[in-house]
Amino acid sequence: MNTLLKLDQVETFIGQYHILQGISFEVPKGEVTVLLGRNGAGKTTTLRTIMGLNPAAKGSVQFKGEEIKSLPTFTIANKGIGYVPEDQGIFAGLTVEENIKVAVKKENDETRQRLDWILELFPDLKKFWKKPGGLLSGGQKQMLSIARAYVNDNELLLIDEPSKGLAPIIVEKVMESIQQMKDKTTIILVEQNFMMASTIGDSFYIIDDGRTVSNGSMNLLREDEEMRRKYLGIA
Amino acid sequence: MYDSRSMLILLSQVFIFAVLAMSYDILLGYTGIVSFGHAMFFGIGAYTVGVFMKRFEPETSYFLLAVLVTILLTAVVSYFVGLLTLRLKSHFYAMLTMAFAGLFLVLAEKWRTVTYGNDGFTFRVPDFLKDRTDFYLICLASMVIVFILLKRFTNSPLGRVLQAIRENEQRTESLGYSVLQYKVIASVVSGVIAGIAGILYAVSLRFVNTSVFTMDITLDALLMTIIGGVGTLVGAIIGAGIIEFSHHWLTALAKVHWIFERWIIFFGIIYILAVMFFPQGIVGSLQKLKFRKKKTTAVPVDSETISQGDS
Amino acid sequence: MDVLINLSLNGLATGMLIFLLAAGLTLIFGLMDVLNFAHGGLFAWGAYSGIWIYSSTGSFFAGIIGAILTGMILGIVTERWIIKPVYGNHVQQILITLGLMLVLSEMLKVVWGPNQISAATPDYLSGSWEFGGIIIIKYRVFIIAVGFAVFLAVQYLLKKTKIGLVVRAGVMNKEMVQSLGVNIQRVFMFVFMIGAGMAALGGMLLGPYSGVIYADMGMEFAILAFIVVVIGGMGSFTGSVMAAILVGLSGSFMAYYVPDLALAANMLLMAVVLIFRPQGLFGAKG
Repeated sequence: MNTLLKLDQVETFIGQYHILQGISFEVPKGEVTVLLGRNGAGKTTTLRTIMGLNPAAKGSVQFKGEEIKSLPTFTIANKGIGYVPEDQGIFAGLTVEENIKVAVKKENDETRQRLDWILELFPDLKKFWKKPGGLLSGGQKQMLSIARAYVNDNELLLIDEPSKGLAPIIVEKVMESIQQMKDKTTIILVEQNFMMASTIGDSFYIIDDGRTVSNGSMNLLREDEEMRRKYLGIA
Repeated sequence: MYDSRSMLILLSQVFIFAVLAMSYDILLGYTGIVSFGHAMFFGIGAYTVGVFMKRFEPETSYFLLAVLVTILLTAVVSYFVGLLTLRLKSHFYAMLTMAFAGLFLVLAEKWRTVTYGNDGFTFRVPDFLKDRTDFYLICLASMVIVFILLKRFTNSPLGRVLQAIRENEQRTESLGYSVLQYKVIASVVSGVIAGIAGILYAVSLRFVNTSVFTMDITLDALLMTIIGGVGTLVGAIIGAGIIEFSHHWLTALAKVHWIFERWIIFFGIIYILAVMFFPQGIVGSLQKLKFRKKKTTAVPVDSETISQGDS
Repeated sequence: MDVLINLSLNGLATGMLIFLLAAGLTLIFGLMDVLNFAHGGLFAWGAYSGIWIYSSTGSFFAGIIGAILTGMILGIVTERWIIKPVYGNHVQQILITLGLMLVLSEMLKVVWGPNQISAATPDYLSGSWEFGGIIIIKYRVFIIAVGFAVFLAVQYLLKKTKIGLVVRAGVMNKEMVQSLGVNIQRVFMFVFMIGAGMAALGGMLLGPYSGVIYADMGMEFAILAFIVVVIGGMGSFTGSVMAAILVGLSGSFMAYYVPDLALAANMLLMAVVLIFRPQGLFGAKG
C-alpha cells in the first residue's frame, strides 16, 4: 500500500484549548513529508496526536490501514512508529548507551547493524558512549534522539524541528542523516527552517491555526513565493 | 430511644463539627488545597479556651478574651505556615501540614505545665454557657452565622478567585493574580474558623486533652467534607450530620455486635468511593445531575506537557 | 564507647527500617508522581501478617516471606484499584491514599483486634554478642544486614537490569519512555509491588525489635519515612538510604541525649529542607 499514515479531520483539545481543528493529510511510504507552519499552528500537537500523547478527540488516524486513534502511546510506538520530540527527550541521567538501550526492542543482528550504521553517521555518540546524556551538546542530543528512533526497524519516524537551535554545520549533518534514512524508512518532518525542509522534503502540508490549509509537492512550494510568504512568513 | 438531652448534645456536636467541616471546605472545596494539619487550628482554639478558663476565672470576660486570642493565634499561625508552605506542590504541602500538626501534638504532650500532657484537664465554663439548651442554641447560631459569612465570602470576588485557582492554578496566575496570596487568605480564614470550632468543642466537653491535635480530627473534617460534598458548604453541614449521627448510632450498636465498633471503616470505604467516583460528594453530585459537564480523560504525562503547547 | 556503639547500631537499625519504607515511597513518587499516603498501612500489614505467620508456624523465615508477599499483593491491589483510577489528579490521589490508610489500619483491628500484640525475636537472633566488653545486640545487626542486602538487591535491579533501566528512565521522562514503546502501566505496577514488599518487610522486622505491634504503628513510621523522602530527595533511591541513615542515627542519639527534641527536630529538618531545597539533599526531582 502506498499510504502509510492517514489523518482525516483530526481535532485535538489540550485542556479546554481547541488546538487542532481539522488536520487531514496522507503520508506516502518511502517519502519525507514535511509539515510547515508558523509558531503555534499545531504542528507539534499533530505529531503528539499521532503518538497518542494528546489523543484525538475527533477524526481518524490510520496507520497502515488500521485505526490507531484510541490506542495507548506504547502500543502505537510498538506498531513501528518512532518519535523524535522537539526537546529531544534525552534521559539526562542515563548514558548514551543506556539511552539507546531503553529504545531497543529486539537485540538481534538487524538492530546491531542499524546501530552500527547510525553510529558511523554520528561518531560523536560513540565518543560519548558511556557519558551521561545530560553532558551532550544540543546537536549531539539531537543526534542521539534520532539514533534512538532509528535503531528499531520503525516504518515511520516523526521528527520535530531537528534543526532548532543548532549551528548550521550541525544542521547539515542532521539533514544528511535524514536524507540517508529516506530509503530505509518513511519520515514526517516538522520544520520551520524552510531551506532545510525544501532540500530533503518530497511533499508538504501547511498547517495554520490548527488546520491543514495547503499541500503539494515540494517543487511547488519552492517556486511559489506568495504561498511561502502567506503561510510561512518568509520569502 | 433518645432523651431530649442526649439529642441536644448530639446536635450540638453536629453543629460544632459542621463549623469545622465548613472551614475545611473553604480550603479543599473552594481553593483545592489538601491540608492534613487542620487539627492544628482546632486544637489551638480548644486549648486556648481551656487554659483561659483554668488559669483565670471562668467568667464571660475571660471567655471573650480567649476567643480573641484564638482568632489572633490561629490567624498568625495559619498565615505563617501558609506563607511558607503553600508555594510548594500539593504533595509537599500535605506532608508539611501533617508534620506541623504533629509538632503541635508533641508540644501539647510535652508542655505539661500548661496542657497537663496527654491526660488533659477539665475546666469550668462561664454561666451563660452552662445550660445545655443555651449552648445548643449558641452552637446552632454559630453554625448558621459561619455558613452565612462563608457563603458571602465564597460569592465575593475574592471567593471567585479562589475557585478559579481550584480549577486551573496556572491560568489564574497568568491572568495576573498572585495565587500564593489568595491561598494564604483562604488558609487564614479557614484556620480561624477551625479555631472557633475548637473553642466550642472544648466548651461542650468542659475538657481538653491532646486528642484535639490528632490526625483523627483532620480525618473527621475530611470525611465530612468529601462525603457531604466539597465546594458547597451545605455539603459540609450534611456530612457532619451524617458522620456524627452514624458515630452515635453505630457505636451504640457495638453492644450488639463488635463489628460496629469499627464503624469508621464503612465511612472510609464510602470516602474512597466518593473520591474516586463522586469527588463532588452527595450535594455536588445532585447539583451535577442538574448541570451536565464534559470531562476529558487523563493520560500519564509529565506536568510540563500541558505548557509545552504546540509549534 | 559502649554507649556510642550501641546508639550507632540502634540508629543504623532504625535507619534501615525507615529506608525500607522510604525507598518504595521515593521510587513510586519519582516514577509515578504519586505520594502514597497509605504506605504506612502496608508497613503495618506486613508486621501483623508476618508475626501471625511466625507465631502460627514457628518459623521466623516463613513470617518474613509471608510479610513480603502480603505487602506485594496489597501493593498490586492498591495500584490497580485505588491509584490507577485517579491517576493524574493530585488532589484526588492524595485524598484517596489517605482514605486507604484509614481503612487499612482499621481492617487490622477487625482482623486481629484493637489491642497490641506482642512479638518476640526468634531464639537464634535473640541476645547479644560480647566483644571486649562491648555488648552488641544480635537482632540489630540482623536488621542492618537485611536492610543492606535489600539495598544491594534493588540497586542491582536498577542499574543492571532492563526493567531497572526503564524505571530510571521513567523517573526522568515518563512520556518519552512510553513513546519508545514501553508499557508504563506495567512498570508502575512493578515498582509499586516492590515498594510495598519492602515496606511490609520493614514492618515485619520492626515487630520483634520493639516487642509489640499495634495498628497505628504504620502512621508513625510513615511520617518518618516522609521526612526521609523529602530530605533525601523525591525519586532518589540512594538519597533515601543516606537520609534514612541520617535520620535514624540522629534520632537515636537525640533520644538518648535530648529526648524531648527528637521528633520535633526531624520535623523541623524536613520543613527546612522543603522550604529551602525542595529537591532534597540528593534529589533528582523538585
